[in-house]
Amino acid sequence: MSKKREKEPDLKGTLYSVGVLGAFIIITWFMAFYLFIDRF
Amino acid sequence: MTTVAERAKDLVKVDRRDGKLALAHIYVAFIALAIGGLCGLLQTLVRSGTFTLPWGIGYYQILTVHGVLLGLVLTTYFIFGFQIAAVSRTSGTLTDKQRMLGWVGFWVMTIGTIASATMVLLNQASVLYTFYAPLQAHWIFYAGLALVIVGSWIGGAGQIGKYIEWRKANPGQSSPLLTFMVVVNLSMWIVCSLGVAVEVLFQLLPWSLGWVDKVDVLLSRTLFWYFGHPLVYFWLLPAYMVWYVVIPKVIGGKIFSDALARLSFMLFLLFSIPVGFHHQLVEPGISSFWKFLQVVLTLMVVIPSLLTAFSMFATFEIRGRALGGKGVLGWFKKLPWGDARFLVPFIGMAAFIPAGAGGIINASHQMNQLVHNTIWVTGHFHLTVATTVVLTFFGAAYWLIPHLTGRVLTKQMNKLAIIQAIVWAFGMSIMSGAMHIVGLFGAPRRSDFSTYGGSAQAAEWIPYQIAQAVGGTILFIGIVLVLYIVANLLWFAPKGETEFPVGEISENAEKTPMALENWKIWLTICIALILFAYTVPVIDMIQNAPPGSKGFKLW
Repeated sequence: MSKKREKEPDLKGTLYSVGVLGAFIIITWFMAFYLFIDRF
Repeated sequence: MTTVAERAKDLVKVDRRDGKLALAHIYVAFIALAIGGLCGLLQTLVRSGTFTLPWGIGYYQILTVHGVLLGLVLTTYFIFGFQIAAVSRTSGTLTDKQRMLGWVGFWVMTIGTIASATMVLLNQASVLYTFYAPLQAHWIFYAGLALVIVGSWIGGAGQIGKYIEWRKANPGQSSPLLTFMVVVNLSMWIVCSLGVAVEVLFQLLPWSLGWVDKVDVLLSRTLFWYFGHPLVYFWLLPAYMVWYVVIPKVIGGKIFSDALARLSFMLFLLFSIPVGFHHQLVEPGISSFWKFLQVVLTLMVVIPSLLTAFSMFATFEIRGRALGGKGVLGWFKKLPWGDARFLVPFIGMAAFIPAGAGGIINASHQMNQLVHNTIWVTGHFHLTVATTVVLTFFGAAYWLIPHLTGRVLTKQMNKLAIIQAIVWAFGMSIMSGAMHIVGLFGAPRRSDFSTYGGSAQAAEWIPYQIAQAVGGTILFIGIVLVLYIVANLLWFAPKGETEFPVGEISENAEKTPMALENWKIWLTICIALILFAYTVPVIDMIQNAPPGSKGFKLW
């Protein structure tokens, strides 16, 4: 490893964005799952 | 021919002869959009219950025209046009032989398309774009489809030929990313279209010609969906090519990681094909173990999809921060929102968030019962292919067409393109939103307007069907606008130079492992997964075959 490795880019916004995306997928899935359990 | 000096200065233009071949495909794509889009409008009007088709035209006839022209013709032709230009731009001008294969492929596909479309328009093939047996079309419809597939193989061979030539000329080097992606997409297409070719040649054609009386419906649907799911990735991957390679350049940034992009494409190759059973989850005759296995493989596609989402966000954030964006999300405001080449595909990307979430619900085995054969599914693929994919294609057309015609996108046209995308997003939100909601209420897909004998439940669906007609009408305005812009770029825009944007890899990216381009490894895994997922259930289907069905013409 080089000791002068370039500073990693700041990707905090990316972390939050993919987090929100993942949460959206999980929430919608559970909404559908609730409907499924309710109906079948 | 592009010289080495020009290539170094990034002034690379697609050779005029290759451009002509690409444009031929793009012409057909937009003609299909005009006719297919009109049929879409008519469908939503019929389903609202306020409009009856004139001159004895059938609902299922225009539904078939809509599905075939937009789902199969618009997509395949635009993709081929784009891919030919992309290969020529990044790996160099096609040889005469490669270009000849492109033209032969184009004409074989076009003869097939005309043959099939004629039978649909004559009301001899109102079997929808999935052409499920036992609905039986005229044999010319199936023969036309077979020609489309064979034509695509011939044209695809020309593009793959360029890649092979490049690899031979540059041993030990990573191929140009865009060309590599084209070859992944074509590999997937060739492997999957073998299934539909077998269905058409060995089942549907002999049956429609009367050589055999009955067809094995289960096997035909299995062969269809072996092809049908990778088909949706065949639509999507060119959109991903634009996102990964073109958009970074358009926004002035760099490609986040070449290795990540290649890995995600290879994962799509692996996990797009052995997954067709998730379209047959409520079908009898396939054991739940094999359905479960294919559900697991289907959900693996989440990995490359989220890799792509991460990569896009990272590209945007790094660029936005370089432009002075502060805070956690300040970079977002710095992106070039006034540039149609960015904004139009961006709206497509945003649409893929609900589209992907819906797709996971559809594929969740038993939960599929909630949405199966409801208009929710129609709402779903109008977000995936009819928003994510087509808005990305429109955004690409705004630089690709003027690049090929030697014209420029004027400020007014750029503004109109932005308006077009907003109109599209607005119309689709209404139409697809209404489809999703009423689908959960049980409204069926595909079917003509009906009150179902005065059923109270069916009466609840009607307001949503009217909303679909409102959304559909707004979308049709969107189609008129995009056709106006495309006509302008083809024939009327001012002459000038337009760039074919191809991003550079970020200097922070790790070196790409050569294993990502070792086709022996990836194709072996791909074929092994297909054999694993399909061999036993298909043998079971053949050994314990259902009795077979004669053909039906219900229209």
